[in-house]
Amino acid sequence: MENKVQIDWKNVFKLGFILFAISAVAACCLALTNYVTAGTIEKMNLATNQTARQEVLSEAVDFEEIPAEDLTKIGTEIGLDNPDELVEAYIGKNGNEVVGYTVKTAPQSGYSGEVQVLIGISTDGIVQGVTILEHSETPGLGAQATLPKFKDQYKGLTASEKITVVKSTPVSGSNSIQAITGATITSRAVTLGVNISNEVYQILSK
Amino acid sequence: MNFIKNLTRGIIKENPTFVLVLGMCPTLAVTTSAINGMGMGLATTAVLVGSNVAISALRKVIPNSIRIPAFVVIIASFVTIIGMLMKAYVPALDAALGLFIPLIVVNCVILGRAEAFAFSNGIADSFADGLGMGLGFTLSLTVLGSVREILGAGSIFGLSLFGASYEPVILMILPPGAFLTLGLLMGLINWKKKKA
Amino acid sequence: MNNLNLTISSSPHIHAKHSTASIMQNVLIALLPALAVAGYVFGVWALALVAICIVSAVTTEAIIQKLSKKAVTINDWSAVVTGVLLGFNLPINAPWWLAVIGSVFAIAIVKQCFGGLGQNFMNPALAARAFLLASWPTRMTSTAYIPAYDTVTTATPLALLKSGDLTNMPSTLDLFTGLNGVYGCIGEISALALLVGGLYLIFKGIISWRIPTVYLLTVAAFAVLVGQDPLVHIVSGGVMLGAFFMATDYASSPVTPKGQIIFALGCGLITMIIRLYGGYPEGCSYSILLMNIATPLIDRFTKEKIYGVVKKKKEVQA
Repeated sequence: MENKVQIDWKNVFKLGFILFAISAVAACCLALTNYVTAGTIEKMNLATNQTARQEVLSEAVDFEEIPAEDLTKIGTEIGLDNPDELVEAYIGKNGNEVVGYTVKTAPQSGYSGEVQVLIGISTDGIVQGVTILEHSETPGLGAQATLPKFKDQYKGLTASEKITVVKSTPVSGSNSIQAITGATITSRAVTLGVNISNEVYQILSK
Repeated sequence: MNFIKNLTRGIIKENPTFVLVLGMCPTLAVTTSAINGMGMGLATTAVLVGSNVAISALRKVIPNSIRIPAFVVIIASFVTIIGMLMKAYVPALDAALGLFIPLIVVNCVILGRAEAFAFSNGIADSFADGLGMGLGFTLSLTVLGSVREILGAGSIFGLSLFGASYEPVILMILPPGAFLTLGLLMGLINWKKKKA
Repeated sequence: MNNLNLTISSSPHIHAKHSTASIMQNVLIALLPALAVAGYVFGVWALALVAICIVSAVTTEAIIQKLSKKAVTINDWSAVVTGVLLGFNLPINAPWWLAVIGSVFAIAIVKQCFGGLGQNFMNPALAARAFLLASWPTRMTSTAYIPAYDTVTTATPLALLKSGDLTNMPSTLDLFTGLNGVYGCIGEISALALLVGGLYLIFKGIISWRIPTVYLLTVAAFAVLVGQDPLVHIVSGGVMLGAFFMATDYASSPVTPKGQIIFALGCGLITMIIRLYGGYPEGCSYSILLMNIATPLIDRFTKEKIYGVVKKKKEVQA
């Protein structure tokens, strides 16, 4: 304990000031870039979401978001195990007429975790379209869920009863879809998302 | 003369991936397709050039004892700026590389060049070094991505090569494919070098 | 000066009765009963697939050794064994190119890239199977077998067991003999044939009894613990093939007796964990591959004590 370190306070402040100056300049540059790009990013996100919603519910022109607290209530009502699996829901409108609903779900049971699924359901209870937004499924296997061949199977199924997954070509009118070969887990996860939104639809349409 | 030498050194002779073996995380993680590899390479090049020039310009101001935190701040700022610009103007590439853009911060190539070159060389030379190393990194990531995409998806830059009857080697676009391709390419390069 | 070729290894040194070639020939003899059953049940294509694997494995070994200017050692029969084992791991409806690519991968990448015979850190045939399974999952998991008298494909017994639908489950005796239309890879269908071959190897002193016995007992014990039929678990899937022929690979399994027991215990546990709780119906190949990777570590911790050396006591400071 004899060799007590002598702190050179002058030097400490000098170093601190230099680091502070560098950080301050960096922060200014970041703020500037953020100022320039934030608007574009925001617009881009809105446009992407709008396009995605229109893709699954083509009849709708504008969308009205269902408030988060209402959505939470719906979540509890349908008895979701994990409230995070219901992300957002919109009422699709054409002028003043309600033409359907879009629901974004995030089933956690994909092969590599969360799969974000956006579903459009018309007012007569028919699934109009399904699209996969974000996922990290295996390329070439689970990732095939993003291809029209798989996701278009949901089109025309009825939202008033549970959709099931089968391994062979489904019997017509059986309200089921065929799993991707070698990726049953992914197929089940997507279908879980669709079934959650079906239940959400049943409550919303009341 | 010196400028050209600094520029070309990073592309082949001291290629950051195959010779210096730096920045393995992005090399292995994002090279699932040629375009992803190239995009990651170019984003890294932009950061590398920026940080090299900035650090070279400030090398007289930054005291030796706090150079590492200073480097980190500068590099992180450049990465964040590039990330924002990509999100705003090339959203498709941003969606593909997503998670890995912020990780450029911890890419050893950048901190390595800052420490080994930019901190003790002039601005022009540092610019050349950053550009050369960046292009070398881009080149190797593009090659890796191409090999993996050709075998693992049967296409290159998204163009289908072999038609519908080709059954791709899915493993090549999964993580083990990255290790296999990198190891074999590195072996090939070392073998060529030994022969020459 | 004599040019001595000294082989250095840790003591005790025991004179080996077998050369590599004779060991490999014995392994091939032991694999013959299973091959015969495969030929009988699946028909000519099963034998053809195994033949394709052998030819590609041996050719690859020869080409790589020529290219790298090493002595060509294809007459040690080891590439033939790898070829047969890989062939045994393919489903009957595998196309010829799957057999070729698998063999090339096993020999070129897993064996020769790491230095050839005895240097491979995992079983080449199993590593190739994992490679094929990850690359062409639909081809490799269509293990469903089409017997001559039946054109409907069905899931393998383990897949049935996993799904809980036991209506099509074959009887344990059928699973054991494999002669009556069981579903599985070419070489794994007859537990009886593999058992005969395995016992021959133990009797000949080629493999030790420890790894297969402990492996199979662990699987059975685990099955009993969770209330399933231990016999069904032992005779179905690849466990019999794995326990006698894959897990006993010289280069990638531990050398010490204690190490071999730990190794086999690990294989059995991982197999059952994958079978019961994992995404795949069968976990035999992955369990052996995982334990292959752990082998150097197991060897290090189970090294025999050197006699005559007393562990030094740490001197106590005053």
